Amino acid sequence: MTHTLHRLGMDTALLREDFVVLMMPSKDINHVGSAPKLRRFFELSLQAGAVKIGDCRSGNEYYQGGVEKILENVEDRAVIHAVFKDRESLINLLKMLKEEDLGLSVVVSGLFDEVGECCQQSGLKPHSINQSLGRWGATTKLPEVGVQEIHTMCGHGMVSVNLILKMVEKIKDKKITAEKAAEKLFKPCMCGIFNPHRAAILLTRLTGEA
Amino acid sequence: MQIDENKCIGCGVCISYCPVNAIGLTEREVPLTIKGKERKQVSVINFDECAECGVCLRSAGCPTNAIYQQELQYPRTIRSLMSDVLTIAEESQISGRGTEEMKTNEVTGRFKQGMTGVAIEVGRPITGTRMVDVEKIAMAVSVLDVEYEPCNPVTSMMADVATGKFKDDLLNEKVLSAIIEFGVRTEQLPDLFDILKTVETEIDSVFSLDIACLLNPDGSNPTAPYIEGAGLWVAPNGKTNVGLGRPLVK
Repeated sequence: MTHTLHRLGMDTALLREDFVVLMMPSKDINHVGSAPKLRRFFELSLQAGAVKIGDCRSGNEYYQGGVEKILENVEDRAVIHAVFKDRESLINLLKMLKEEDLGLSVVVSGLFDEVGECCQQSGLKPHSINQSLGRWGATTKLPEVGVQEIHTMCGHGMVSVNLILKMVEKIKDKKITAEKAAEKLFKPCMCGIFNPHRAAILLTRLTGEA
Repeated sequence: MQIDENKCIGCGVCISYCPVNAIGLTEREVPLTIKGKERKQVSVINFDECAECGVCLRSAGCPTNAIYQQELQYPRTIRSLMSDVLTIAEESQISGRGTEEMKTNEVTGRFKQGMTGVAIEVGRPITGTRMVDVEKIAMAVSVLDVEYEPCNPVTSMMADVATGKFKDDLLNEKVLSAIIEFGVRTEQLPDLFDILKTVETEIDSVFSLDIACLLNPDGSNPTAPYIEGAGLWVAPNGKTNVGLGRPLVK
């Protein structure tokens, strides 16, 4: 339900560099013939400056064999995404989506205030919202918040804590850059909603060198 | 998921990829190619802990292709359904664990004024969960006469949607997460929060809680007073449906 929600961020300023835009058709209402519209969403997202695109149904660019394959393979019932690292690119995309009027639902994940302003500047009006009320239960089992901030960028939990910690150690040992480590962490996130730009910054902070 | 011990060279590259920490190294006696046996280090998957998410198979890059997906049989099939994002649920016909919920609310009208959608995602983040914890929470919230989402595969796992009781053969299954999804009248939120504050102390996993609603005509959030009244933390970031789907629901 909520794979682009619950992205934990203690640093609000850094959350301003993390937006996920989702497009999906609705079953039995507008899903028939939706594939070309979904493909157009991908094209517009790339044009607007998306840092990643992905498809929940068919997998990310590594799984499918390239960004071009993501566009080729999109199907009618797909749930698709684009990740952005700045509001200007997001506004560009929202303006284009309003102009093209593809007729499929669009959901933006990000700071509510920021997204509201971006909607206003794009001539859109927020319709419904989905809010995270946090983590409950046996929360003492959770690792440090910095690790959770990275982990929760893949809402399906595909990016393991051990892999994050391994990357932090490799960065400390100068065996890999933060950017390359972030890209490695992106790979298990099949929907492609993991933001490697933000992850690289968070990884660097976890090394204690930021 | 399983690992072919004859192919595995014990490099351990798969271990850190497992989201539920179910892979480890051990020594095994394996047959030699020509004759006899040798002891060697191999990776093994703890079959009971494995959530069948597929991450090790797809992403770890095993150098000898030793990881393979065995045939899944019920009730183990629900592990894949609740853990592997590429598994398509029969009920929702979409990938992932959930439904369209508020993502398409402008065309479905699923959440109307006065109604709040609730999702309790048990096992998220990180801990994963046994279905017995999912049942505990569902049985606790069922006293509010909630309307479980019929398109959510978790609803199909209940033996009785009136009580939130699950099918017994599913209770020990381990999954990355399972979403209890339902609608309540917005004024029921304080009662719901009270129930969750109690049941959260009775489970071994974590859960992530979220609520979804249609915004008021003036753009304000109808759930805000209830969240504030209960003294709950709410994230500054979340999901906004920007109303571009067509045809708009009447």
